[in-house]
Amino acid sequence: MRELLRWLLGLSDKNTQTSSEIARERLRLVLIQDRIELAPDMMQQMKQEILEVVSRYMVVEEDFVEFEVRRLEDLVMLVSNIEVKDVSVLMAAPAQ
Amino acid sequence: MMGKTIVITSGKGGVGKTTTTANIGAALAMRDHRVVVIDTDIGLRNLDVIMGLENRIVYDLVNVIEGKCRIRQAMIQDKHGLELYLIPAAQTRDKDSIEPAQLRELCAGLEQEYDYILIDCPAGIERGFKNATAAAQEAIIVTTPEVASVRDADRVVGLLEASDLHRPRLIINRISADMVRRGDMMSQRDVKSLLAIEVLGLVPADERTISAANRGVPVVHDARSSAGAAFLRIAARIDGEEVPIQEISPRPGVFNKLRDMMGMKGRAYSHA
Repeated sequence: MRELLRWLLGLSDKNTQTSSEIARERLRLVLIQDRIELAPDMMQQMKQEILEVVSRYMVVEEDFVEFEVRRLEDLVMLVSNIEVKDVSVLMAAPAQ
Repeated sequence: MMGKTIVITSGKGGVGKTTTTANIGAALAMRDHRVVVIDTDIGLRNLDVIMGLENRIVYDLVNVIEGKCRIRQAMIQDKHGLELYLIPAAQTRDKDSIEPAQLRELCAGLEQEYDYILIDCPAGIERGFKNATAAAQEAIIVTTPEVASVRDADRVVGLLEASDLHRPRLIINRISADMVRRGDMMSQRDVKSLLAIEVLGLVPADERTISAANRGVPVVHDARSSAGAAFLRIAARIDGEEVPIQEISPRPGVFNKLRDMMGMKGRAYSHA
């Protein structure tokens, strides 16, 4: 009932967000995405470095590595798919 | 003293680059500097009309670069007798008519004789942008507090960095303090935190800017204009003077006061 009243009065969180706040938040996400997409050299280098780290623990298919920037509502995510070919390196590693 | 070449750019069109160029040019000349403003928007020139010099054009930038005239012949002196000269863009040619290196060479020559050379850059990030930015040692980015122009400004910051024009400075144009106060426009603080570059100045939305453009007289000549005053302060900062960034405050009005009393939507407009 109280919620309904608040909603009717336009006081719920969504409604009290001003258009400038919406603009700021939308821009924040768009700029993250733009900057990542516009720095292909940096992305390539990061991809290499991540591959090097992962390769220390398992054998991966270097030709099947995907990096992608995705928007999920109010999050910007870096999504990566790496094909694992062999985990024997991992199994051979001495237990802690 | 050697002069300095500054490019005024934005990425997005319609944010006030040409008006900014005309006003900073006039303001620097009013500070007793010798100034040349160059319109590099070949095919879509406008700096001439903003300065009210459209009837005096005989030669243009492309004529100079192609050696069809001497540089002095293409320089049109400001109407107010200031040491301010316009080199207009060609209207019937395109951006490929000049090369970045040619414009750089032209500006290098002007730097020997003039204190400031301001380049009005065309919108976009293609050839015209490359021509304009290649000639400059410093860059000013103009944006409005709107999502599209801030986004494009961010893109331009990246491109300038890549072309060795480091530390561009930002002018936030057409700020409506009333809208900021109502929460319907991003504040200068919002824009600054998103772009993370140094702010050179804040220019209020001012109807007098439009009426000044109608007359072809830069608004810095209008002593009653708040935008004109903002451009004068910007010119002082370019000139190395320490002028604090002045906030743009809302117009005091009965309606605003009433709204404050009722606590309606208006957030406190805090200033940096």
